[in-house]
Amino acid sequence: MGRLANPLLVFSLAGLLLAGSPSKAPSAAGPPGQPVPNLEPLAIVVNQANAVDSLSMADLRRIFLGERGHWPNGRRITLVMLDPGWPERAVVLSDIYHMDETEFKNHFLHGLFTGEVFVSPKTLSTPEGVRKFIFNVPGAIGYLRASDVDKSVKVIRIDERLPGDKGYKLQVPSRENK
Amino acid sequence: MGREKASRERKSVPGTSTSAAQTWAGLSRYSSALLLFFIFCAVTVVGLFAIGDLRKAGIDQQNMYAGLVLSLHRIAALEYQTQETRRSTLYALSTTDSNLHVKYADQSREADHAVSAGITEYLANARTPNEINIGKRLERDWSTYLSVRDEVLASILEGSTKEAVDRDLGEGVQSFDRVRQDLAEVERIYDQQASQQLANVDATSRRTIIRVAAVLAITLIATIASVWTIQKIKMTGAIQLAKLQMEFVASVSHELRTPLAVISSAADNIADGLVQSKDALKIYGDTIQRQSRHMTELVDEVLIFAATKDRKSHFVSHTVDVPEILHSVLRQTPELATASGFHVELEIEPGLPPVKGDSSALARCFQNMIVNAIKYSGKSRWIGVKAFLGHAQVQGQREIQIAVRDRGIGIAKSELSHIFEPFYRSPAVVAEQIHGTGLGLSLSKNIAEAMGGYFSVISELGAGSVFTLHLPVAEDPKSQMPLEVRVDGSTEK
Repeated sequence: MGRLANPLLVFSLAGLLLAGSPSKAPSAAGPPGQPVPNLEPLAIVVNQANAVDSLSMADLRRIFLGERGHWPNGRRITLVMLDPGWPERAVVLSDIYHMDETEFKNHFLHGLFTGEVFVSPKTLSTPEGVRKFIFNVPGAIGYLRASDVDKSVKVIRIDERLPGDKGYKLQVPSRENK
Repeated sequence: MGREKASRERKSVPGTSTSAAQTWAGLSRYSSALLLFFIFCAVTVVGLFAIGDLRKAGIDQQNMYAGLVLSLHRIAALEYQTQETRRSTLYALSTTDSNLHVKYADQSREADHAVSAGITEYLANARTPNEINIGKRLERDWSTYLSVRDEVLASILEGSTKEAVDRDLGEGVQSFDRVRQDLAEVERIYDQQASQQLANVDATSRRTIIRVAAVLAITLIATIASVWTIQKIKMTGAIQLAKLQMEFVASVSHELRTPLAVISSAADNIADGLVQSKDALKIYGDTIQRQSRHMTELVDEVLIFAATKDRKSHFVSHTVDVPEILHSVLRQTPELATASGFHVELEIEPGLPPVKGDSSALARCFQNMIVNAIKYSGKSRWIGVKAFLGHAQVQGQREIQIAVRDRGIGIAKSELSHIFEPFYRSPAVVAEQIHGTGLGLSLSKNIAEAMGGYFSVISELGAGSVFTLHLPVAEDPKSQMPLEVRVDGSTEK
């Protein structure tokens, strides 16, 4: 994998440079002079049957990048994303992937082609679809606003913090801002 | 009165004192109404039976149809939802769109919830061990299939279509077939239950028909029997009345012929000049006069009876002093005057309160009692007349009782129920050639009842009789306002 990974990484970086556009992901702290929007925690959710309760941000990133294919129990990891345009997706791209949409697409195209990426993300059009998908697939992992979470899915800790805990990094602009 | 204890008593109380024959006569008078009432009751009873049975049969049928429809609905819903569960899962295989995957998974889960609810309902309604066993087996097999279905769905949603197909073909098809077999078994049980219920309804229907037919037959027989009985009573009554009337005509004719013969003979003797002397003429005149009075009284009695029977007679009611009337009657009764050596023992309680009634009617009543006692006193030639204050049957009321006793031939037990019937004359007195019309006691009873009183009789064959007239004491003795009393007992001022 090491031999293949380096050229691909270079390719990806080149693509990123060629795209030339900075990430449009919303930031927790807005531009200077503008009012700070209300934020809401973005929960990372898995199937209720999943034994994993906590992940480090690094592990989470590896999972989201598709670099980790299975859970500790051997179950295949299925990554669930929302369609482009959702603020939740933008937060995930900026705070987990550190990529924009193009980089994200290129990452997976390249990764799947080279075999570096084991998981192709499933894209759903609504948070409800995400929730139901995760409910149906034992190895699924995705993200939802804290207000969209219900008992059908399990919220896991990121760096030992739950959504709402102080220092929890993943925050999405609240719907009230609209 | 010690003798009275041993004797038989028969009371003639208004409304309740009628003899059995009178009761039957009364019944026969209302036979049509009774018959209609009886038929109405019979039809009502039959109708209630029939309605009850039909209602039960209807309820059974309703239950059967409702149960059948519900069972069919349950099994149809279960079959549909099981198919829907599987169908939605398989639909998910036909697309790569994750949104559609989720949609089909949702549909499948909704359907499987419906199936689970249906199975729970089936188990809740299961009664027989067989039903419960099959229900539990279905529940178990369905759970097994769902676990396979969940894995298949997960594989589809993960994008592992081949894995999903392999799992479905390997485990899903078999487990789903077991579910279908269980459902077929449930359906078979429903069919059996429906057949059983149909048989029950059929049996209930047959039983209803038999019951209704039986009850109708019984009603018909009872109706025929009642009609026959009433007709027989009416016919017997009519024959008896005709016989009594014939006897009455014969008796009256005989009673009239005797004085007529005396009068005719006396008149012939006078006309033929056989009676010359003044004394002889006076004797003949007295004889004619006495016989004429006798005839007049006889005719009066018949006319009064006829009037009371037609309810045309009206009595004028005053407060009446019973001792005074008794004394008057004893003075004026010709039978006493002519019956030499007859001893009348009169005992009147001092201070008797007055009664309310028609004095002349009461006098006739007393006279009938006394004349009867004289006629049937036999060789004893003794009668006792007693008037005293007694307690009425109605609590708190007082009555005056006028008892006339004789030590004569007495009345047979079998005769007691007939002596107050009009025209009735005992075969014994007919045989003894004791004259009478058979109207005296009937007329007396009518008068007594018109005055609010009644008769009681104590008699022993060969020992004598006591006829007692019970008259209620006038509530307000000072009241002299006349009341018009009809013989049916009603009054008007």
